[in-house]
Formats: sequence, C-alpha cells, structure tokens
Amino acid sequence: MHEYQYKLLRDIMALDFTILELALYLDTHPRDKKALKDHNEYVRERKKLKEIYEEKYGPLTLAETSEYPWRYIADPWPWEIKY
Amino acid sequence: MSESTRHYHDDMYPDMELARAYVPIQIYDMSYRPAVALSKGTFFPELYRPYMVKNPY
Repeated sequence: MHEYQYKLLRDIMALDFTILELALYLDTHPRDKKALKDHNEYVRERKKLKEIYEEKYGPLTLAETSEYPWRYIADPWPWEIKY
Repeated sequence: MSESTRHYHDDMYPDMELARAYVPIQIYDMSYRPAVALSKGTFFPELYRPYMVKNPY
C-alpha cells in the first residue's frame, strides 16, 4: 500500500468524522448558515477524494461497481492497515 | 423544605433540582481541521476535554 493511498484513506476518514460532527450540530441548529455551508463544503471535498481513491485503488464500499476480477478483496482489510 | 424531605444539599445549589439534566445551546464559531478533529475526538474546540492521566509517582 502506497503512502498516497494511506493519505487518501486518512483524509476521507477525517472528513467522514467532520461531516458527522457537523450533522449532529445541524440536527439541533438546522438554520445555522455557517454550519450548513461548512458541512456542504466538507461533503463536496469528501466526494472528490472518494472519486480519486476509487478510480485509483478500487471500491471503498460494496455499493460500487467493480472491474474484473472482483476488486473488493484486493486491498488489505481495515484491521491489517497500520495507520 | 423540612429536613425529612431533603435528599440533597439544596443550599449548595440554590437554583437546581435533583436529577435534572441540561445542555446549554452551543454556538458554532471555530473548528479544528478534519485531521485534527479525528485525532482529538471532536470537531469543536469548546468540546475538547481530554482526560488527564496523573502520574502518582
């Protein structure tokens, strides 16, 4: 696994966490414009990184198409990755 | 309130009742960068409250 692949994975995980944090805040503050704007920006950034990752390294979740042969098992499992 | 019905030190907390939980409304202003937020366990600096392990020796 290359350093760039680790970096993308770490960045996507950090964005997932950030998006969840802002979503929890927005549940109780649905009209907070700054929070909503930041949430949407992080979602867009996450989408971009996910596309870059999957284009280069294969599917992040099962709900993605796969080339032949089945790509999902090609990478190390999450517990085998040393962050 | 008579002594027999007192179940906590109401003189120490004059405006509070027993077993009432409260959460003040948060105001979003500053935040950590995503990578920092993930490692600190919160996106909001005002909610960062690390457990300090005191070394007894």
